[in-house]
Amino acid sequence: MTGRTFLQDTWWIAWRELKHFVAEKVRVFMILVQPFIWLVLMGNLFEKMATIPGFPARSYLDYMAPGVVTMVTLFGGIFGGLSIVWDRRLGFLNKLLAAPISRAAVVSGKMLAIAIQTAVQAGVIFVIALAMGVTFKSGPLGALAVILLAALLSLVFAGMSLSLSAVLRTHEALMAVMNFLTMPLMFTSNAMMPLEFMPKWLGTLAKVNPLSYAINPMRTLFITGWRPAELFEGLLILSLVAVAFGLVATRLFRRAVA
Amino acid sequence: MIPGPAPATPGERDGAIIRVTDLAKTYPGGVRAVSGITFDVRPGEIFGFLGPNGAGKTTTILMLITLLRPTSGRAVVAGHDIITEPDRVRLRIGYVSQDIAVDETLTGRENLYLQGRLYHLDRETIAARTREVLEMVDLTERADARVSTYSGGMRKRLDIAEGLIHRPEVLFLDEPTLGLDIQTRHRIWEYIRRLRSDEGITVFLTTHYMEEADQLCDRIGIIDHGRLVALGTPDELKASIGGDLLVIEVAGQSSTAPEDRAASGLVRLLESVEGVTRVSPTENGRWLLVVRSGEQTAPRVLAALGGAGLEVRSLAMKKPSLDDVFLHYTGRELREAGGGQDFLRHRLSLRRARM
Repeated sequence: MTGRTFLQDTWWIAWRELKHFVAEKVRVFMILVQPFIWLVLMGNLFEKMATIPGFPARSYLDYMAPGVVTMVTLFGGIFGGLSIVWDRRLGFLNKLLAAPISRAAVVSGKMLAIAIQTAVQAGVIFVIALAMGVTFKSGPLGALAVILLAALLSLVFAGMSLSLSAVLRTHEALMAVMNFLTMPLMFTSNAMMPLEFMPKWLGTLAKVNPLSYAINPMRTLFITGWRPAELFEGLLILSLVAVAFGLVATRLFRRAVA
Repeated sequence: MIPGPAPATPGERDGAIIRVTDLAKTYPGGVRAVSGITFDVRPGEIFGFLGPNGAGKTTTILMLITLLRPTSGRAVVAGHDIITEPDRVRLRIGYVSQDIAVDETLTGRENLYLQGRLYHLDRETIAARTREVLEMVDLTERADARVSTYSGGMRKRLDIAEGLIHRPEVLFLDEPTLGLDIQTRHRIWEYIRRLRSDEGITVFLTTHYMEEADQLCDRIGIIDHGRLVALGTPDELKASIGGDLLVIEVAGQSSTAPEDRAASGLVRLLESVEGVTRVSPTENGRWLLVVRSGEQTAPRVLAALGGAGLEVRSLAMKKPSLDDVFLHYTGRELREAGGGQDFLRHRLSLRRARM
């Protein structure tokens, strides 16, 4: 199996997922509407937070915009394992495995599709946020960096989700575990609340949560401007964790179908 | 003892397109699904595995298409070893599972396109091949509609077309007509025959439908509890029973009654009639006699029973069917060994749940 055919196989697996993504008109519509609702709702709900001394942003909406980007990323990525569980149930997985493609391409293709979807969603949220008057200090290149961070973060959660789907195998068990994971992942990060406002133990958890490595540099790009060291640290750690989960998922998956 | 053609000599085995030797699979947990089967499939033939659900048919197919690693034994498919060269095997075979594994969200043409890409064909080859296989399964007109609008039979035909996109040398069909109605089943048989005559493809299929094995297959392997119990053409298998069949019902002598002296006396009496080679009870209380010539033996049986003062309620004479062959080799009737309906219902409700 050469590197080139691996990339091609990955693309064609992703192609199918992307076809599913655009086929569902309601879903595409919700993707556009949902972040808008969140920004309006949360922005207004927690408006007063910004008046607390020590709050790191001009308005809660400014603070929240990158939080919504990561939230959407988290949900998009973590339910990525479902598609493989469905493929297994409907017999489509066996069809893929009977084809002369590598097992790793099935995993990487699903991950790639999720990263592309997330990048699109992140772009949409970004535009909506700007339209709502959210501050953004780092220009068009900064916008690309935000989208890249979101895509990498989605790979982390997609890898996590695909690993779990290889072990759990049923859609019911997977849903239960995913639902269990999303909220803690969200609230043990500083997506919605500054670290300084959290109890100390929660702040410690936030430091090992991969979400934080996307949201900190993202927030800096929104509120402060360029801080290259933080950005590169985030990109590097997210890439490493994403590759690690990808490898784990491939390994578990290979074993599960042996 | 495997009836039919003499066990293949080394020379014959060299010409085989599928060569299976002592292939066995024991699942983790100790379930022995396939226990040491050996057979050859010749190029260009339609070869069928006939057996009840759970006999080991699907396990055998999954091993031959390299999705399941055998516990022991080996197999060579289209010139390549399934264990050491799985990628080469995959390129040369097509596989159509018993799940109708087509993507409902895509159109028929998109399904074929994806399949072609997964077999590393280029765009032009896929386009040309798509036209051919669509024509072959009569789906050209609906090719650009979403598969979610297709009937069950259309989906199955699309699935078969997908298995053909890369011109495989061997096509594996696992229960190709499971759950389809009679007309659709006959149409699928037609397509499979056409594949063999037009494209020279070797077809390996599994089925638990007697008529399917009888009418479609050149040769049949009967598989039960993971063992290959008989192998040959349908005619050879029927002839291997050793004659015609008589089914008689005798008043007061039900074959399902607890064994008593009267019944064993009846068996002895029947066995003593000239031309009767074997007597066995049937599930519904009658007696099944294997006889050399039905026409000549039936009157003799009636005379012998009449002479012993026994009343014959009914008598039927028939030529052996594959049903009888299955009963003969396994001691069970195939239809009692379980059908596939529950599985199909489960699958259909799943599909609805997804939409």
